[in-house]
Amino acid sequence: MDKLARQLREDAANINVEVSAELDDRIRASLHGITPERARESEAPQRPRSTWWASSLTGIAAVTIVIVLLNLNQPEPPVVLITTPPGNIFQPQLIINPAVMTAPLRKELENLEADLKKAEQAVRKEIGLFP
Amino acid sequence: MTDELDLIDAAKSGSVIAFTELVRSYRERLLRFLLTRCESYADAEDALQDTFINAYRYLQSYDSRWRFSTWLYRIAIRNAARLQTDHVAELGELRDEESDPLKLCIADSECENLWQSARRLLSDEVYTAMWLRYVEDMSIKDVAVVLDRSNSWTKVNLLRGRRALEAELNRDQQTNESEAYG
Repeated sequence: MDKLARQLREDAANINVEVSAELDDRIRASLHGITPERARESEAPQRPRSTWWASSLTGIAAVTIVIVLLNLNQPEPPVVLITTPPGNIFQPQLIINPAVMTAPLRKELENLEADLKKAEQAVRKEIGLFP
Repeated sequence: MTDELDLIDAAKSGSVIAFTELVRSYRERLLRFLLTRCESYADAEDALQDTFINAYRYLQSYDSRWRFSTWLYRIAIRNAARLQTDHVAELGELRDEESDPLKLCIADSECENLWQSARRLLSDEVYTAMWLRYVEDMSIKDVAVVLDRSNSWTKVNLLRGRRALEAELNRDQQTNESEAYG
C-alpha cells in the first residue's frame, strides 16, 4: 500500500462516528414497519406449448369470421341490364342473291372483250392480214 | 462473506433480525461516508436511516453477483444527493464551515485530515470514487457500478484525484518542514 492510500485510510478512521442508541432504535422501528416488496414476477409467465396452438387457431377462426361478416354486409354490385334495341330502329333486310350482285361486272367484261375483238380486226385489216 | 450471504438470504425471506445484523455491520461505515456528503450530522443520520429502509424494502432486487456494500453505497449516495438537493432548494448554497459535520467529527491534529482536503479539491463524484477505492477497498469495477460510470472514467478520475491529493500532501509536508526549521 502506498503512502497516499495509507494516509487516506488512516484519516478515514480518524473520522469519529457513533451511531446513537436513538438512531439505532429509529432504524429498527422503521424496519419493523416495512413490508418488503416481493420480486416482480416475470411479466409474461411461461405458457404450455399447446396454448400457442390454441391461440393461433382462435386467431385464424376470428379472422375468417370477420372476413365472412364483411362480405355478408357488403351491398351487392349494381346489375347492368343489357336490353335489346327497340323495334322501331330501321334495320335493312339484306337478302340478296350473289349472282345479282356480279351480273353488271360480267356484262362489262363481255363488252370489253367485244371491243378488244373489234380493235384486233381493224388492225389486221390495216396491215393486210385478212383472216 | 458466507455469513453475510446467509443473512441476506434470511432477510430476503422476511427476517428483520437478519437484516438488523446487516445494519449493525454497515452502519458506522456508511455513516462515516454520509457525514462527508451531507450538510449536517442530522442529515447524515436521516440518510443512513433512509438507506437501510430502502435496502430492506427492495432487498429482493439485490443481485448477489455484486458485493452487498456496492449495492448499499448506491442507495446511500442517492439518498445523500436527494437530501442535498432538498437543502439547496430550501436554503440555497449556505454551507457553514463551523457546522460542517466532517470537521466536527475529526479530532484536532496538526495536519488537515486528507478527506477534508479531498472535499475541498475534488468534485463529489471523484471524492466518492476515492472513498470507495481507498476506504472501502472496492475494485475499479465496483466503484464504476456504484457511480454508474464506465471503468475508464473511474480509472482516469481516480488518478486525477490521487494526483491532486498527493500534491496537497507534499505541500503540507514542505510547509511543516519549513516551519520546523524556522
